[in-house]
Amino acid sequence: MSKFRKDDGGKNAPAINTSSLPDIVFMLLFFFMVATTSKEVDPTVVVNSPTGSYTTDLTPFKQRSEVDFLYLGRPLNPARAEQFAGGFALSLDNVVIPNPDGLYSVNQVRQWKMDKFTSKPATMSQSIEAVITCIKADEKAPTGMIFDIRKELQEIDAISVAYAVKDNGNI
Amino acid sequence: MAKREAPEINAGSMADIAFLLLIFFLVTTTMDKDQAFMRSIPKKTLNPLPPPEIFMRDICDIKANNNNQLLFRGELLANPDDISEKIVEFYRFNQKSNDLTSNFPLYTRLTKSEIQVQLDKLDAEIERMESTPDQSEEILKYNLDARAEWQLRLDGLKMYGKSSLPEVASSAHVRVDVQKKTSYELFAKIHTEIQEAIRELKNEEAKKMWNTSFDILSKKADSEPGDREVKSQLDLLKLLYNVRIIEVTPK
Repeated sequence: MSKFRKDDGGKNAPAINTSSLPDIVFMLLFFFMVATTSKEVDPTVVVNSPTGSYTTDLTPFKQRSEVDFLYLGRPLNPARAEQFAGGFALSLDNVVIPNPDGLYSVNQVRQWKMDKFTSKPATMSQSIEAVITCIKADEKAPTGMIFDIRKELQEIDAISVAYAVKDNGNI
Repeated sequence: MAKREAPEINAGSMADIAFLLLIFFLVTTTMDKDQAFMRSIPKKTLNPLPPPEIFMRDICDIKANNNNQLLFRGELLANPDDISEKIVEFYRFNQKSNDLTSNFPLYTRLTKSEIQVQLDKLDAEIERMESTPDQSEEILKYNLDARAEWQLRLDGLKMYGKSSLPEVASSAHVRVDVQKKTSYELFAKIHTEIQEAIRELKNEEAKKMWNTSFDILSKKADSEPGDREVKSQLDLLKLLYNVRIIEVTPK
């Protein structure tokens, strides 16, 4: 069975040239750097967005840092849910006096938005009316809470809102 | 002293470094896009004016109750997918000619001379204000905005190629009226349907006039913001189908 006989005469297999491996990996790296956007926060509530179509894409024309995201859903820690009316809480980022669980109620929205607006660098000289507040809400969340948030935002003239959904392709 | 050759740098760990960076970016970034419905909240006013008189025919109200049931202009609606067709009908019914007996908003048809009259009037007003010194900036700005709006209509009519420009009554609007416990899912569905209706109306008009579609036009406007022709086409579509949306705060 000469077919299977080793015929390298006892020599070792030649080493595979891996000098182009870094190039391949760098290519992958650059692809992911370009194709993805950085996560702003890890929300502390569970958000299962409903589907919708014919939406506006916030990513290409706005840097993520120019859009303020707030999340509305059931707390990740179910034991804390009872403390919120209806079991739904808000997840806000970079709040001045943080809450240990990162869960907030609607009346902290105004303070949060104001802080975010004043802490923006001077190069982003958009008026507060133009800074979009994007509400990511769970599909079971009551709409009454969305309107409570809207009311808080109206008080400080932050009048651009966006309701986030999962886009199911523009069919 | 003999010239020494520079020793070769071992690049074997380069791949490891690159992998490390790659994994870092994989973990800290996300691929999902942020898709959302853009809406604006009415500005807070200290002394609200009394509400203007509104005709029932101008209101296209979509009500949803705590049990997620839908009412479209007083009719119970079992399937939320029907909303968009009904909104399209609402805006299209009187577009060709006004039917005063119908329960749909009326259209005004502005001819070129009528628009010109308004423009001349505003021009005279602006000129008068600029020549008299102590005028409030706000009123001047208001007049300039109004002038720009009428200029848009004039340009639009030229592009539209007909003798008059149909424009829906200014009080015609879509009203989203939900209750406190309506689910966000249904709320998002209603907004999807509104967007679908707007798209449908504009698509058909774009097809008729330039044999293109609204989607293509808005994509073009995104990729080449400087394109004047596309911009004026979108402006005209916006004039023809100005869908105003009012969201009623639930009590």
